[in-house]
Amino acid sequence: MTDMTKDILAGVAGRRRDGAGDALGSNSEIGRKLKQYYDELVSDDVPDRFAQLLSQLEQAEPAQKKD
Amino acid sequence: MVAVSQGFKTDLLGAIPSLRAFAVSLTQNSDKADDLVQETLVKAWDKHESFQPGTNLKAWLFTILRNEFYSQMRKRGREVQDSDGIMTARLAVHPAQHGQLDLKDFRGALEQLPEDQREAIILIGASGFSYEEAAEICGCAVGTIKSRVSRARTRLQDILKISGEDEYGPDAISAQVTGSPAT
Repeated sequence: MTDMTKDILAGVAGRRRDGAGDALGSNSEIGRKLKQYYDELVSDDVPDRFAQLLSQLEQAEPAQKKD
Repeated sequence: MVAVSQGFKTDLLGAIPSLRAFAVSLTQNSDKADDLVQETLVKAWDKHESFQPGTNLKAWLFTILRNEFYSQMRKRGREVQDSDGIMTARLAVHPAQHGQLDLKDFRGALEQLPEDQREAIILIGASGFSYEEAAEICGCAVGTIKSRVSRARTRLQDILKISGEDEYGPDAISAQVTGSPAT
């Protein structure tokens, strides 16, 4: 089994061996488009604002101990 | 208050691409989606103590994001779409031929789904969650998720004029056999 096949199985079917899991599997047009749609969104570049936000939250954290 | 661990921060960072994808799927708007992700990260940070290490962080974050989305919709006074109350949407989409379905058409079709169906089919068909996890994220029964996924799939097939689920395009008989939604 190739890694890609494993990924597909893990992502689409995984623990779901019942009905709709298969219905959205890699043999289904809807299932494939759904993955394609979503994967495109996931691979979108993340704007810097989120890393900055987390850094800000981190710095704001020990508010009482600030000197 | 326990300080947020470095590991938690790293995990949050790692979850951002998935959170953004889910947020876009819900809002259908990338600006709103990023605002939603920002709110989610702030909330997650504030209540990091309620996260149990070893459990599924992604599911925990998706739950926060989803709650935030619906609470914003309620604040804006928008009725949450009810799948049963929606008219059958019609969009001129060319029938899929030989499995060649345009991603743009698919996106348009997805947009026409009511939120509850769209989130269900995204969680199950794209985000890799189990039915149990999706039910937990949406705060509903597993059976409800199953039926939403099934209705979403049927509706997408209707909108996109896909009558069956055969890889090489359905013929009349296989369309009859496979055209009914999974239950």
